[in-house]
Amino acid sequence: MIVLDFTLQQGEFRLQLNEELVGRVTVLFGPSGSGKTTILDAVAGLRTPSNGTIALNGRKLFDARARTDLPPHQRHVGYVPQDVALFPHMNVRRNVLYGRRRGQKLSLDSVASILEIVPLLDRQVVRLSGGEKQRVALARALMSAPDLLLLDEPLAAVDFDLRSRILPYLERVRDELGVPIIYVTHDRDEARRFADHVIVLANGVAVRSGPPQEVLT
Amino acid sequence: MDVSQITIFTIVTALAATTLMVPPGLLLAWLLARRRFPGRVLLETLVSMPLVLPPVATGLILLLLFSPRGPIGRVLATVGIDVVFTWRAVVLAMTVMGLPLFVRTVRAGLEQVDRRYEAMASTLGAPPLRVFFSITLPLALPALVAGAVLGFARAIGEFGATIMIAGSIPGVTRTLPVAIYSFAETGRDGDALLLVAISAGIAFAALWLSNYLSARAGLRA
Amino acid sequence: MSTQAWLAAVLATSLVSPIQPAPLTVSAATSMTDALEEIAKAYAAAGGGEVRLNFGGSNTLARQIVNGAPADVLISADEAQMAVVEKAGMVRPGSRVDVVRNQLVVMAAPDRVDLVRERFLQAPADIRRVAIGDPLAVPAGVYARQYLERRGIWKAYEPRIVPAVNVRAALVAVESGGADAAIVYVTDATIARRAVTAFTVPVEETPPIIYPAAILAGSRNVSEAQRFVAFLRGREASAIFRRHKFLAPSGK
Repeated sequence: MIVLDFTLQQGEFRLQLNEELVGRVTVLFGPSGSGKTTILDAVAGLRTPSNGTIALNGRKLFDARARTDLPPHQRHVGYVPQDVALFPHMNVRRNVLYGRRRGQKLSLDSVASILEIVPLLDRQVVRLSGGEKQRVALARALMSAPDLLLLDEPLAAVDFDLRSRILPYLERVRDELGVPIIYVTHDRDEARRFADHVIVLANGVAVRSGPPQEVLT
Repeated sequence: MDVSQITIFTIVTALAATTLMVPPGLLLAWLLARRRFPGRVLLETLVSMPLVLPPVATGLILLLLFSPRGPIGRVLATVGIDVVFTWRAVVLAMTVMGLPLFVRTVRAGLEQVDRRYEAMASTLGAPPLRVFFSITLPLALPALVAGAVLGFARAIGEFGATIMIAGSIPGVTRTLPVAIYSFAETGRDGDALLLVAISAGIAFAALWLSNYLSARAGLRA
Repeated sequence: MSTQAWLAAVLATSLVSPIQPAPLTVSAATSMTDALEEIAKAYAAAGGGEVRLNFGGSNTLARQIVNGAPADVLISADEAQMAVVEKAGMVRPGSRVDVVRNQLVVMAAPDRVDLVRERFLQAPADIRRVAIGDPLAVPAGVYARQYLERRGIWKAYEPRIVPAVNVRAALVAVESGGADAAIVYVTDATIARRAVTAFTVPVEETPPIIYPAAILAGSRNVSEAQRFVAFLRGREASAIFRRHKFLAPSGK
């Protein structure tokens, strides 16, 4: 269960949220500039809210009043940003294994086979296609055994044809690995297909919140 | 033959100085590139001082600090370490004069490293020190190498501060530049020119190595 | 004679001493480099300890000492700089002695040397330019100017003086044809590559050009320093100095 109850002021822009997320996949839906990426950054610890709390399964990641602000490396939140940001000086294997902690249950083989990146493991990052980079980034985030997965428009830079091939991977991650996901998109079809719960954002505020059939017309 | 002694002495002390520059230089470069803190501008200015002050002036300041009656020299003397007029003064002068160049170059390189990579590493569970050594530093490696080469070249050519704090003692503190000056002053022109040729050769080799390494780093990425 | 006997006695007793002396740091003017390197070797061969010679311009050496640099002995080419060190209280009282004297010479390029020899003193107008050490900075320049003033020809030469940053530069000026004559020390004549001596300036016609030595107040090695200074004034060192064209301090 994820609690997002905070305000974040950045220059002129003000983001305000008060949500409790219980489903497997929550989609943040809205046009660009509505604050979706800012929310992900705040949850990951890359940006600091002005006040409020962020909690994950009862664990406080941020609490303004208690002066709690866990640094990103202590939050166990996996992040696949829009620009993917694979480490250019490492090959695929080293990228994927970067966040692996000792004694965790997830193995490289299982994650790699779910995302079908086994043949890519020894390749240099620069030689990957857009879709391959997405899958590698996903694998890298998963290998750190996160308690929560944040995906920022994973299919935005990918062509239509490829989209239909990657979405099943995301569904597999949702179904087989059981990690809760917050998923950002401005595409209705993705939201409808993937989400248990949708939060529609406009100008930094949640204007609607509920199951996809109700919220997305 | 004293020409080879002078050459080897200069190279060894310059290498030592370059090595000494790296830990504080990296720290300073990282602080100035990544952190905001009170007194940051002051720190930046202090680090740049040896670049702007006449080298003799820097030498004088070092002399005041490290002479047996100076604040630092006094402490070192109690453990039997003499600095002024010894090889330690040579390494000290080289390090102080080369450090600002090293910091500048590395800082610029660190600022070029995309902070998104550092952010990603952080979310993957890497604490700040691991992020620095596994992500930031490798991505800034060409700048690190260039900075070290620049620091080395500056060390090899260092004269003004060296002559003030290390003196010109044949066989003990005569580096290539100091020897060239001494030989020219006393009419040993042939020897002076020989040393000039050697200095030029070392500088050439250092620059060649730096360019070669940069090209290789470029190809790898 | 009795002074020399005394010095010899001090030398003899000190050389018999079995104690291993610590290295002595001697700051000395660059112009004495060759002479002192020979003397240091002779000192070691005669049983003296290790001497570390630190060469530099007299003003640099003085500045080092005044700012705390740990030298045992100072041999300066400039009495004014020795005075600076004395005034700062860095000299051991009573230890100052005169080591050698120097003398001026007028030098010229081989194709101008006859002209200079004939006309330098009598017909300054025929001499195009004269290179001397900068009278504002270099002792040799100060002495050169005083010499010209005593001979009454400073005013004549003043507009055509080339002030050089050091003796080397003055000689280069003459050798490259930029100046007809250079006034330098007799000990510098060896540095010249093409220039030759036109004439030597008699010692009486300039103020005494004294090179003093002194033991420094901060010396941790006073007895060894005294031994070395005594050696400097002894017979063997005097012979070495003479070979390098320095004069005995009493002007003989």
